[in-house]
Amino acid sequence: MNPPSSHQPTEDSGIPLRPHTYDGIQEYDQRLPNWWLYTLYGAIAFSIVFWFAYMIARVMPTDAARVEAEMSRLAAIRLASSIDVTNDALFWDMSRNPVFTEAGKQTFTSLCVACHLPSLKGKGENPTAVGPNLVDQAWIHGGTPKEIYATVSKGVLAKGMPTWEPVLGQKKTAEVVAYVLSHHQQGEPITIEVPK
Amino acid sequence: MTVDSPVQPKPRPVRHVPTVDSVTTINTDGSRHDIHPADVHGRFTTARRWSGWGLIAFYLVLPWIPVNGYPAVFLDIAEGRFHFFGYTLAAQDTWLLFFGVSGLGFALFFLTALFGRLWCGWACPQTVYLEHVYRVIERWIDGDAPARRALTAAPLTPGKAAKRVFKHACYIVASLLITHLFLSYFVSLPEVWHMMRSDPGEHWAAFVFVFTAAGILYFNFAWFREQLCIVICPYGRLQSALTDEHSLNIGYDQKRGEPRGKLGTPDAGACVACSRCVQVCPTGIDIRHGLQLECIGCAACIDACDEVMAKLTRPLGLIRYDSLVKFAGGRTRWLRPRTVTYGILLLIGATVAGFAFSSVKPASFLVYRMSGAAYFVGHDDVRNQFLVRLVNKRSVPAVLKVQTHGVPDGVKQTGFDAPVTIPALGEQVSPLVLTIDRKHYTGPFHFTVEVEDEADTFELKRAVEFMGPEPRLLREEEEEREHAAREKEDHANGKTH
Repeated sequence: MNPPSSHQPTEDSGIPLRPHTYDGIQEYDQRLPNWWLYTLYGAIAFSIVFWFAYMIARVMPTDAARVEAEMSRLAAIRLASSIDVTNDALFWDMSRNPVFTEAGKQTFTSLCVACHLPSLKGKGENPTAVGPNLVDQAWIHGGTPKEIYATVSKGVLAKGMPTWEPVLGQKKTAEVVAYVLSHHQQGEPITIEVPK
Repeated sequence: MTVDSPVQPKPRPVRHVPTVDSVTTINTDGSRHDIHPADVHGRFTTARRWSGWGLIAFYLVLPWIPVNGYPAVFLDIAEGRFHFFGYTLAAQDTWLLFFGVSGLGFALFFLTALFGRLWCGWACPQTVYLEHVYRVIERWIDGDAPARRALTAAPLTPGKAAKRVFKHACYIVASLLITHLFLSYFVSLPEVWHMMRSDPGEHWAAFVFVFTAAGILYFNFAWFREQLCIVICPYGRLQSALTDEHSLNIGYDQKRGEPRGKLGTPDAGACVACSRCVQVCPTGIDIRHGLQLECIGCAACIDACDEVMAKLTRPLGLIRYDSLVKFAGGRTRWLRPRTVTYGILLLIGATVAGFAFSSVKPASFLVYRMSGAAYFVGHDDVRNQFLVRLVNKRSVPAVLKVQTHGVPDGVKQTGFDAPVTIPALGEQVSPLVLTIDRKHYTGPFHFTVEVEDEADTFELKRAVEFMGPEPRLLREEEEEREHAAREKEDHANGKTH
C-alpha cells in the first residue's frame, strides 16, 4: 500500500550497496551525519578524560569522598549550633529567658499536652492522665536539668515516653526542657519517686 | 514508483534533488545541507501562523495570570505544590501524573490514527518556535530563500558579518526569553525577576539551568532544526506503528498528477513539475514520492501547489490531506479496529482520570505510631500512642476536625479535643493517645480516624489498629494480683487476730 516500502535499492541511484542480502532485503551504505559521528567521537573522548580524571589522576573526588565531605560539613553545622546538654546552669538560664520558654511552650502545647496536660500536672491533676506530674518536686527519672533533658531526648520506652530528640532536634528539645524548668526553682529539693 | 534521480557513474558530493533513498539534508560526505524553504502563502500557512502564535502567547501568558494568588500554572518544586488554574495538587498526588501522561498518550494515539502527523506540523514546540519565531527572524534579516542562499554563498563582508551577528543575537535573545519564562513555571515570575537582578552565585543551579537550556534552544533552532524531527524524535518513528492506509496524511495525487509535464505537453497530468512543493518543504523532501518519514505534515506543499493550480485554473488539491486509500482511488474508512480500539482506550483512560482527579482532597493526613513499643500496659489500662500528620494542600487556612470512630466502650481519647487550624499549605503533627481500661479490654481492635473540614465539604478516613496483649494474659495477671492482694490481706488479718 505504502509506495516507498516497495521501493527496491538500485545500483544506478549512485549510492553504494552493502554486499549482503537477507530475506531479499539489501541496504545502502550511506554515511552517517557528521554531527552524529561527532557526538560518538565526543563521547569516546569524554570517557577517556573521565576515566583518567577519576581512576588515574584522581583529580575528581570519588562519590564516597563527596559523601564524607558532605557528612562532615553537616556535622560541623550541628556542632556549631549545638549546646552542652550536661550543663545545668545553662538550662536554668534558658528557663528564665522568655524567648526559650515561649518557644518551648509552643512545642509542649502541640505535642506533650496529650499526656502531661496543659497544666503540666499530668496524673497529679487527673489520675487517668498518661504522663506524670512535671511541676511537683518528685521525679521518676531524675530532676536535674541534664537528667530531664536525657529523659525527653531519649524517652522512656517502657512507659511510652517517645524519644523526642530525633523528632524535634536538639534546639526544640532544649526549649521544652527550659519550659518545664520555668515551673521550678534552682536549688529546690528533689525527691526520687518510684512509680507504682 | 519512479526514482527521478539521473543515472550517474559516481556518487554526487551533495544531493539537492530529494530522493526516497537518502536524507536530503545530509550530503554524501556526511556534511549538512541547509534547507532554505521558500516563502509560501495560503490558507494552511495563515491558519498555522495564527495557531502557532496563539500557542506561543498561551505559553508566555500563563505565568502572568494569577489564580487564587498563584500563577495559573505554577509547578512549585521547592514547596512540592503544583497549581493548575486554581487547582492545587501536592507532592502526595504525584500518582495522578500517571493519568495525565497516559491520557496525553492515548489522545495522541487516537488523533494520530485518524489524522496522522497533525501534532508535528501544528502543535509541536519544535515546529511552532522554529516556524513562527526563528524562521520569522531569519526571513526578516536575511530575506527570502534565494537571498538567504546567496548570502550563505557570498564571501564574508562586513555587511554579511553584521547581518549574521544581528541574526544570532536575535536568536539568543529569543532563546533566553523562552527559557526564563520556562523557569517561571517552576519558581514564579517575581522570583525569576529577583534572581535576574541578583548575583548568579546566590542561585547557581537556576542560573546554570537557564543558560544551558537557552544554549540548547539556540543550537537547536539556529542550526539543528529539522535534524531533530528526522533523526532524534521518537514520535516520528512511532507514527508508522500508529497510522495505516486510512489515516489522513499529506500526499500527492499520482493518478491526477502523473505523468508530469510542463504546461502544454500533450497527455501530461496535472503536475507541471514546477517543483514549488519541493522548494517550500522545511525538511527537504519531495512529497510526490509519497509518504515519507521526514514529512512533519506542515501543509506548506499543499498551499504551494494550490497556488500554482489556482493560477492555471486547474482544480486545487493535487497535493492535499487525504488517506493513502483515497489517493489510490478507494474510500477512507474512519471506523476501523484501530481507531475504535484507540478511542475506547482513550475513553476508559479519560473516565478513570476523571474519577482520579475528582477524588483528590484538599487535605491529607497520616496516622503513625510514636516511637517506642507498639502498646503499653499500665496498672489499670492498655494504651496506644499515635502521631497524626495533617497536611493542608490549599492556599487558604483550613480548620480540620479529627475524630475516631468505631472504638469500643471504655476508650479514652487524648488529643484533638477541638478542631485544629492548619495554615495555608501548612502541615502539623499532633499526638493522638487512646487508652482503654482493663475491664473493657477484649483484645486488639480496628477503628477509623476521620478528618473533616468545618463546613463538611470533604472527609478523609484511615483504618488504624489498636494493638494490645492477649486479653487472657491480662486476666491472668489481674487474678494473680488479686490473689496476692488477698493473701497479703489474710496475712495481715491473721497477724492482728
